[in-house]
Amino acid sequence: MDQMSFIPQVPPPLPPAQVSFTGERGEFRSMVTKGAALELVTFGFYRFWLATDIRRHLWANTSLDGDSAEYTGRGKELFIGFLVALAILLPIYLAYFLITIEAERLQELASIPLFLAFYAFGQFAIYRARRYRLTRTIWRGVRFWMDGSGWAYAGRAMLWGLLLVVTLGLALPWREAALERYKMQHSHYGNLQGKFDGRGWEFFKNAWWLWLLSPIALLVFPALPFLYAEFKAREWRWWLSGIRFGGVRLESTLPSTAFYGVYWSVIGWSMLFSMIFGAYTGACTGLVASISGVSFEQVIGPNSQTSIPLLVLIGIGYLGLALALSTVMRVYLQRDLWTVVLASANVHGIEAAANVRAGGELASALGEGFADGLDVAGF
Amino acid sequence: MGAMDSVQGDSGGATGAQALYFDGLSNTRRPVTIAFSDQLDIRQDGSIVARWAYSDIRRSDSPAGILRVACLSAPPLARLEIRDATLAAKLASRSTELDAHHLGRRGVARIVGWSLAAAISIIVVVLFGVPLAADRLAPLVPKALERRIGDAAEAQIKGLFGAKVCGDREGQAAFSTLVNRLHAAAGFDGPLESAVLSTSVPNAFALPGGKVFLLKGLLEKAESPDEIAGVLAHELGHVKHHDNMRALIHNGGTSFLVGLLFGDITGSGALIFASRSLVEASYSREAEEGADTFAIEVMRALGRSPKPMAELMFRVTGKEGSGFTILSSHPLTEDRLARMGKEERPVTGAPLLTAEEWKALKAICGSAAKT
Repeated sequence: MDQMSFIPQVPPPLPPAQVSFTGERGEFRSMVTKGAALELVTFGFYRFWLATDIRRHLWANTSLDGDSAEYTGRGKELFIGFLVALAILLPIYLAYFLITIEAERLQELASIPLFLAFYAFGQFAIYRARRYRLTRTIWRGVRFWMDGSGWAYAGRAMLWGLLLVVTLGLALPWREAALERYKMQHSHYGNLQGKFDGRGWEFFKNAWWLWLLSPIALLVFPALPFLYAEFKAREWRWWLSGIRFGGVRLESTLPSTAFYGVYWSVIGWSMLFSMIFGAYTGACTGLVASISGVSFEQVIGPNSQTSIPLLVLIGIGYLGLALALSTVMRVYLQRDLWTVVLASANVHGIEAAANVRAGGELASALGEGFADGLDVAGF
Repeated sequence: MGAMDSVQGDSGGATGAQALYFDGLSNTRRPVTIAFSDQLDIRQDGSIVARWAYSDIRRSDSPAGILRVACLSAPPLARLEIRDATLAAKLASRSTELDAHHLGRRGVARIVGWSLAAAISIIVVVLFGVPLAADRLAPLVPKALERRIGDAAEAQIKGLFGAKVCGDREGQAAFSTLVNRLHAAAGFDGPLESAVLSTSVPNAFALPGGKVFLLKGLLEKAESPDEIAGVLAHELGHVKHHDNMRALIHNGGTSFLVGLLFGDITGSGALIFASRSLVEASYSREAEEGADTFAIEVMRALGRSPKPMAELMFRVTGKEGSGFTILSSHPLTEDRLARMGKEERPVTGAPLLTAEEWKALKAICGSAAKT
């Protein structure tokens, strides 16, 4: 019977693995406030390091089954990726310009297909940026990684995009499902291969009425944030519930009202800060008027004299506003949204992720550089 | 094994381990004990699985309350996790280089310093380098390319205004007479294409490759040939100075360089827009003044006064007042009127058009414009 102790016992079905977020909100807030100030001081160049700090904080404080993840990307990589992307994009922009002239000369508006080429480039960047982030994600000493081709992805995204236009947006669920399937098929955790099980139809069933309501929401002010929050929550829930890595299955119970608080907080803070900025501008104008001894009308009226001190004061106020707004956005839309989503997540079959062998290569940050250079955002 | 300071079994965990070890080759969670000898000994079930030199140990990201370290000489993803605070402190005190790779205050200061240097160099290039490059490069742009850009712009503008070329025969003859006289007086050799477009916008413009267009709206407001001649001479000045190509190179370079700054900061759109507008407006004001100077010279060469042109513009724009002058792309009309007035000389040359020709020119677009 001594032999028995060497044979592993078949474990009983386990409860869903614990997913939790342990980061301090105050710590995150002070990090992004400081980071935003540094961004202003550095004319924006600090953005690479701030984005890295934010990811490091979110990853390190997210733990699955008792062990927290780790983000190993660095700001310097992003910065170099940006420079390389720039070096590649600059001649492309010039060629684009010359070809546009040629095309426009032959036929007015003939340059639209060239615009599509840039759209394809943007999709490529989205794929490669995700690959960069994934290969910098570590859990239990093993990294995630991704293969597949950014151009193959861009081709798919273009074709589905065409369908999206033709169907006035109704094809969106199927587009997302197909693109996510491609991304997840090529995602791996060590030797576990990823898969996306979400079906376009499920997403459609859940959200089609939002599509019907969207024209109304564009006209009635308070409706739009609600509608958008509903849409995003349904999208996240559907997306998370479709993710698989080998036998590991994700599931989300995110209520469709989950993002109301986050979005309305952002709107509330933005309005408050804008009002403060407005009051500050008014006060500065009054102050400048009273000091320089001209009437209020002379300062703001249609025949106003340009006052340099006033412009400087308003400029400072504007920078303060930008700082406050970017902090609010990052705290609510990045951190809080992440915690809300995580709280809804369950991971089933985590035992399938025991004894995973490491594998995969690191990807370069070039994709993120392109995404930055082309101003595309995607996940 | 010569463990100087072995600490075993003093913290939680089913096996009495004080740390977790991931070897970086598989994700197996290995409960281990650690001992501080001349190196860090990591043991599982009594046997050593890894020995890490203290000077190679680096801190990795971890949630609060956990010390997670990696080792430079171990597989890059191998991690040791210590959840016991005193043990973590002990390891930290021995690992002298624990935070050597962290950015820290000095790293941030370096980023700030280099960013400022980069920003200053970009600003200097925008203010001095780009205008210089535009002035030097514009005349070097091949004529064929310039013409092509002009053709593309012409197609776009005609589409935009839905404008047709006015083609009344007598009007056309009068217009050609006027343009040819100016062309000769201006003394430049390049080919010139000019036409009146049937749109009620009161304006005139030049396009790359020597194209000058007068819009019907301006012609209607004109009261004498000299007014129109001045405007056309001004546009010829733009052609002569390659102002379109200069603006193209200048604005392209400025947008690109300013776009390097700020990136995705919230509200950066407004910042970029404001700084670009400022720089471009000042460059454009300079070009306008240059074209005015040219117009003055041409009109003088013809023995005519440049003042009527400014009067026509004043009639179109009215008094512009002292608005936000730093942002406007043209000099103020009253300033131009004042300048042209100062340059006024007694008329010595013959009228540029006869009364009949002027009448024909005014009627060039007729009642129904032809293509």
